[in-house]
Amino acid sequence: MPVLSRRTALASAGAVLALPRFAIAQADQRPSVTVAVQKIANTNTLETLREQSNVGARHGGSYGEALIEQDWLGDLTLQPGLATEWRRVDDRTLEFTLRPGVRFHDGREMTAEDVAFSFGPQRMWGADPAAARNLFGNVPGRTGGKEPPPEAAAIARRTYPGFERIEVVDARTVRFVNRIPDPALEGRLSRTTGMVLSQAGFEAANSWLDWARKPVGTGPYKVAEFRPDQSLTLVAHDEHWRGRPPLRQIRFIEVPEVSGRINALLSGEADFACDIPPDQTDALDRSARHEVVGGPIMNHRLTVFDKSHPSLRDAGIRRAFTHAVDRKAIVDALWGGRAPVPPGLQFAYYGPMLVEGWEAPRFDPAEARRLLREANYRGEPIPYRLLNNYYTAQVPTAQILLEGWRAVGLNVVIEMKENFPQVLSNAGAGTPAGRGVRDWSNSASFNDPVASLTAQHGPEGQQWQIGEWRNEEFGRLSAVLEGSMDREERRRAFRRMLEIAEREDPAYTVLHQTLNFTAKRRDLPWKAGQSFFMDFSARNWGA
Amino acid sequence: MLRFLGLRLARALLTLALVVTFAFVVLRLSGDPALLIMSADAPPEAIAAFRRAWGLDDPLWEQYVRYFAAIFRGDLGQSMRDGRPAIELVAERIPATLALTLPALLIKIGLGIPAGVYAALHRNSFADRAVMLLAVAGFTVPSFVLGLVLVLVFAVTLGWLPSGGQESWRHAILPVITLGIGGAAVLARFTRSAMLEVLGQPYMRTALAKGVPWHVAVRRHALPNAAIPTVTIVGFMVGSLLAGAVVVESVFSWPGVGRLLVVAVANRDLAVVQCILLLVAATMVTANLIVDLLYGALDPRLRVAPKGASA
Repeated sequence: MPVLSRRTALASAGAVLALPRFAIAQADQRPSVTVAVQKIANTNTLETLREQSNVGARHGGSYGEALIEQDWLGDLTLQPGLATEWRRVDDRTLEFTLRPGVRFHDGREMTAEDVAFSFGPQRMWGADPAAARNLFGNVPGRTGGKEPPPEAAAIARRTYPGFERIEVVDARTVRFVNRIPDPALEGRLSRTTGMVLSQAGFEAANSWLDWARKPVGTGPYKVAEFRPDQSLTLVAHDEHWRGRPPLRQIRFIEVPEVSGRINALLSGEADFACDIPPDQTDALDRSARHEVVGGPIMNHRLTVFDKSHPSLRDAGIRRAFTHAVDRKAIVDALWGGRAPVPPGLQFAYYGPMLVEGWEAPRFDPAEARRLLREANYRGEPIPYRLLNNYYTAQVPTAQILLEGWRAVGLNVVIEMKENFPQVLSNAGAGTPAGRGVRDWSNSASFNDPVASLTAQHGPEGQQWQIGEWRNEEFGRLSAVLEGSMDREERRRAFRRMLEIAEREDPAYTVLHQTLNFTAKRRDLPWKAGQSFFMDFSARNWGA
Repeated sequence: MLRFLGLRLARALLTLALVVTFAFVVLRLSGDPALLIMSADAPPEAIAAFRRAWGLDDPLWEQYVRYFAAIFRGDLGQSMRDGRPAIELVAERIPATLALTLPALLIKIGLGIPAGVYAALHRNSFADRAVMLLAVAGFTVPSFVLGLVLVLVFAVTLGWLPSGGQESWRHAILPVITLGIGGAAVLARFTRSAMLEVLGQPYMRTALAKGVPWHVAVRRHALPNAAIPTVTIVGFMVGSLLAGAVVVESVFSWPGVGRLLVVAVANRDLAVVQCILLLVAATMVTANLIVDLLYGALDPRLRVAPKGASA
């Protein structure tokens, strides 16, 4: 008769316990995909309060979710996310009902305390919020310990400018309380910066940097491995509230060269290749096994002015720049006519806030020349700090711009730079050697003008903060646009702000709406959305 | 012999010290690290705090002494982007780079030297012309062009090999071949020239006149004497084991020291750049030292040559 020893019994029990998970793993026939990207993260972290980039937007929504979601695949409306519903308690307060049964990647259930943590000082504001004001820089040494780096708090302030506190009402209810009325609060809370992250996950990490490289969120995929400058591996979070994700694993690999990404796709090393320039789309579309998907996204490409530059102090010269831009030539030559020229820094999805009849400055070289004569411009050099194709087709766009400006008499001198800090560097600011013009892109992450115009060019925006451009009337109107609950008053403010920033005292000039192309295997049932985010959840796989 | 060794060692250390000084000065002349590393969004007080934190406010000589003293303690600084010791970041990448450069070195030596010797021994033959044609093509085609052509043929068209990344040994094949072919071509040309020079020497004629068989004369007299210039080139190749694959690593998305250097330079991560330069210099100096010692072993005259005498 066989004897069942204690050791055998324990081993058998262990095996039985392990069996279901093992069986699931064995039965997991879900596909894995590899995505070749130009860059995984500019800051080498996955914390959306630090990584505020187009490249980071690609995967942020896979591992983290906000209380409210944007329908990037559909009509761009706000949809329930980690909150099943929300209501305005008053002009300053939004109350959320949390979705029950949401589990973090560490298996814990999401609580109201986790929401409070995600908007609290530990993650967002730091121990001394005042000290973080206006700090965007990468201050080495500040990432040691658990204190968030100063730019995280600065980005939080910019994203939630009226934030006062977060209140836990009960286990399933939280309130976001603003100091001032905010008509766009729902939209702000749909941004990935508002992703809900596990407080226990933060506390378990050794340092802020460790945590920021492996945040514990609720998204359909969890971070398995992040190798800075190399790869990011996400694996399915099978306890996701929407059910099992359709993919077993997603691997983002960093392939800086376009040719390398395309080769990786064609050779079968990658299933997706991102940031495909428009001149490559036809060749890829001819492939029987591959296709290029994508189109306009909620992002504009701009030329930005530094009005402190001696040659740009006169608004007439900046206006001359805006009239010497042949937007149609750029769109036709580089984007096959597919990139829309928007009506200024606004999108149709602003709905009732859209300023009808507004247009980008017309291409009018004669008017540009007249403005330059009026400003008594005598061909002083104006620096144009340029990156090597950080934005798709950036250098050819710059070449077209340069020829247009040169044709009207503007002496614009390209200075190639290696990174954004060099482009934005305030060394020599206000002198002929300082910043002149540069490229930028502005996203509108929700359907209100504060998402773009105020966020980027208002008093808390980058242009204002780095001393590139400010206009007192624009600043006052920003407060109206951000704080007034009267739609008509807001519409008037928005129109006037467009007049100031695009005509009277140009801060920037819009070139075209951004197109984002992704090449992929034809047989993969995935659709491109209207943002940089690549949605690999069940709703976008074979749906 | 000890004097010979001592002199070479002292010269190697001096070279290393000069490289360290050069790296330190050039990196600081290339711009204010505070302005390069900090975002332009950072206000003046943050930039000032950065300068204080990294001792950039101190006089340059003080910074230099501190930097030099730290190197002697084995402290090569901390990555400004990653927050980790620079040496740790670089050390992580060294195996990946060596996984390319060591096999490539074997290809260079295994292919280049025999091809050069063969071409020299069959001077002006069809084989000589063919080897030299391939050699000229091999070292004139830039490695990034060769790499892309190999990817196009073997990865995209034939689908035999991966186009990039570092998943398995198969991923290393194309970058290793890309690196190996160029180096083999250089070695083939140098070896051929050296062999031709030696084959024309009087001692070769004497050996043959005394009835020494051709293959014995080649093996015992020609090859050892032709080895000196070849060893010099191999020495350079050994010296560039760490940083010789910058372009190829970028083309093949291979996460080695070369790509780390590119990223560190782009981000002005000075500690990492300095660390890589120092390690590369140390490898080069060590390789040169070994080459110097090999010279002595290959040609005893070099060990005892008086100052000013020609070897």
